[in-house]
Amino acid sequence: MYIGNEINRIDAPDKVLGRPVYAEDLSIKGALFGCVFRSTRPHAWIRKIDTSAALASPGIVKTLSCYDIPGENIFGIIKKDQPYLAKDRVRYIGEPVLVVLGETEEAARKASRLIRVEYDDIGVISDPFISGDSKTLIHEKGNLLSHRKVIKGDIEKAFREADVIVEHTYTTTWLDHAFMETESGVGYPDNKGSIVIISSTQNIHYKQKEISKLLAIPEEKIKVIQATTGGGFGGKLDVTVEGFIALSVYHTKRPVVMRFTREESFLSNTKRHPLYIEYKTGARKDGAITAVKVNITGDTGPFASYGETVCLRAAIHATGPYEIPNVRVDSRMFYTNNPVSGAMRGFGVPQLAFAHESQMDEIASMLRLDSFDVRIKNALRKGSSTATSQVLRNSVGIIETLKKVEPYWRRRTRKNDHTGFGLGCMYYGIGNTGVSNPANACLNITGDGKIALHTGACEIGQGSDTVLVQILQEALGLKIEDIVLIRGDTETSKDAGSSSASRQTYISGGAVFDAAKKMRQYLDEKGFYKGRTIREIYASEADKKLLEHNGFFDPPTTPVDPETSKGSPYATYAFATHMTEVEVERETGSCRVKKVYAAHDVGRAINLKNVRGQICGGIAMGVGFALMEEFVPGKSESFDNYYMPTSMDMPDVEVFIVEDCEPTGPFGAKGLGEPALIPQAASIVNAIKDATGVRAFDLPCHIERLKKLIEDKK
Amino acid sequence: MKNVSFVLNGKRVSCEVQDRELLLHTLRERFSIKSVKEGCGIGECGTCTVLIDNEPHYSCLTLASKVNGHDVKTVEYLGDADHLHPLQKAFIESGAVQCGYCTPGMLLSAYSLLMKNGNPGENEIKEAISGNLCRCTGYIQIVEAIRDAAGLCKCKS
Repeated sequence: MYIGNEINRIDAPDKVLGRPVYAEDLSIKGALFGCVFRSTRPHAWIRKIDTSAALASPGIVKTLSCYDIPGENIFGIIKKDQPYLAKDRVRYIGEPVLVVLGETEEAARKASRLIRVEYDDIGVISDPFISGDSKTLIHEKGNLLSHRKVIKGDIEKAFREADVIVEHTYTTTWLDHAFMETESGVGYPDNKGSIVIISSTQNIHYKQKEISKLLAIPEEKIKVIQATTGGGFGGKLDVTVEGFIALSVYHTKRPVVMRFTREESFLSNTKRHPLYIEYKTGARKDGAITAVKVNITGDTGPFASYGETVCLRAAIHATGPYEIPNVRVDSRMFYTNNPVSGAMRGFGVPQLAFAHESQMDEIASMLRLDSFDVRIKNALRKGSSTATSQVLRNSVGIIETLKKVEPYWRRRTRKNDHTGFGLGCMYYGIGNTGVSNPANACLNITGDGKIALHTGACEIGQGSDTVLVQILQEALGLKIEDIVLIRGDTETSKDAGSSSASRQTYISGGAVFDAAKKMRQYLDEKGFYKGRTIREIYASEADKKLLEHNGFFDPPTTPVDPETSKGSPYATYAFATHMTEVEVERETGSCRVKKVYAAHDVGRAINLKNVRGQICGGIAMGVGFALMEEFVPGKSESFDNYYMPTSMDMPDVEVFIVEDCEPTGPFGAKGLGEPALIPQAASIVNAIKDATGVRAFDLPCHIERLKKLIEDKK
Repeated sequence: MKNVSFVLNGKRVSCEVQDRELLLHTLRERFSIKSVKEGCGIGECGTCTVLIDNEPHYSCLTLASKVNGHDVKTVEYLGDADHLHPLQKAFIESGAVQCGYCTPGMLLSAYSLLMKNGNPGENEIKEAISGNLCRCTGYIQIVEAIRDAAGLCKCKS
């Protein structure tokens, strides 16, 4: 009744009125403005910092350096290797060196421009291929951050016995999240002696822990609240402004505001990892893929951020949604002095989908088979064993997604020799990889007769608020008026984990469902479903503690073997097929995406409009990834030289929803945020091949690159 | 400092502004209209869009002194919680809103289009919002919302 329907988002009415308060919209009287003074060198020792002119500048309040940090000057989601403020060495252009506090933004920025630093340059590592053997160390323990393997079967024997082998190298570059709202936040000391941070973020509890360590103050004295957040896509998972604001509040005891300019955001925000993918596929004449060997080399920049996650996730997903008996993947992530790469929608999987889907088409072409048939022949199904030898028991909808687009594929006709069609398939593990990643949720009955839902899940635009409320409504049979959502505050909610890895519908949704089951039983016992009101139940309950019910869900996973990656790293997987039609102007190399048929197995669609919104948004990002987006260090500064899709670049989209119920998910739901993007670039590249006969091995396949590919072929 | 008088969301207002003050800052700081956002500051993203004499402009590139004697509209003009504009209703119904940061500017570009053209085609709609970037939605539900609203809309100046 409340799920699977055309329900509107609960945050939309406020948003169309322009009323939500983003962090930059908070006006706090007497607030200082903080800006960050950043390194202009990719790798250098800091010899001397001269702040004298800055400190004489009008309106300047203070500068803060690493020596002003009372706790630990280090952070990182997995491996803690990134300083908030550089100590004696800078390791990339844009690395924070000082925080500059002024009475106004203008005063702070002006003073910041007067700071002088003397550097002694160190050799720069700008290429992951020289990083591993370089004598210049970015970190003491060496420049290899991570090496993960996936090993299954006998790869050498399988290649010896294969009828055909296809081998190519695929490369991708840096991309920016380009969320419309840049990183921003405010902080202040409250009257209970705590430091409060309100920021644009994807994960409040993680940031509370990091700030606690930074300031050497207990976690309960740090309160992190999520402001309305203008997009995340992975770029607001790492500590951005929060640490600097907390440190500034600690030292000044005054409210502090911070907001990155777009240029600062481009310079400092983490990027999508550039991956160099050497891919070899072996198959039998009948189209059965028997062997896949992949070497992945990644550039994580000077700090780990999510580099280890991307390294492992890319390896695990390297074979795509297919059952391949013999697999060898080596995935290595190196430190360099390039921009810091981190989490970005898909954690390395969109890059790998580009590679495995290109290979799939090449194999089909070599065998003179329809690439659709090769996909369906090899697709995972119930009982299949993945590359990590995980046997899939439930919710394996890849074949259903293929069947949804099959009629369009079979009927396709090229209107002229400029148009072409391509397929892209993907699978994606929902939640974090091979580790516990639980969510909590809490329900309680309020004095005014409502059910309050407390969750730490961050709504970043993806629609989690609406989805969680819908799950609660469905489980309890309650109208929206009977529910209050209290969300995004470390004081009022327990940890729900990050809004990342497409995990909130499945995991926080699971936690809400768990709490709701207990609440439903309580309400039932108290006669709610026989006509008693919530208000009456509240009034009659002597022990108010009984009015509260906690929910918890941690997806059942197993850690993967460090040598072979054998294991069940995810409890469930999402599956998708995109079919794309493109039109290429051969003379210029301009490619227009005309139409996308997108079929997704989401387990259960909780909110149809949200599902469609995620898919259309993912397609837009996929169009950017395939055709135009490219962050060039030192050149890409803002939207005037970082091109991303506008309304004019969008194709028509037809969405097909497959609901292969996931038994561990709330009402059968899985996740969708990242899957929406993952197969899109691959399907475009395959469509370009169909239209022009040329295949792109390097993304983005932008106008100049495509023009050259077409010219070279002549 | 200069004195500027203009019509803001239907009301005559005046204030002192700095010579080089941007309309974006005048609206956000002097009039507390926070729906006007600064997404890039260089006139590329459209989150700072306002209507000047019913034409969309980037307020991050517009000097406040330039609106003297003109009509300025922000999303607050369109409607309030009890009286949503058909465009606002259509944005809600079509799922055209995700993070919401581009939404006010997007609505204003759409409103300006519908004032001039009560029955725009898909390409005209796409063109009208091509100066407003959105990273979440892929624009499709936004275009649908504008098309749906077109028939219902009485966009008066």
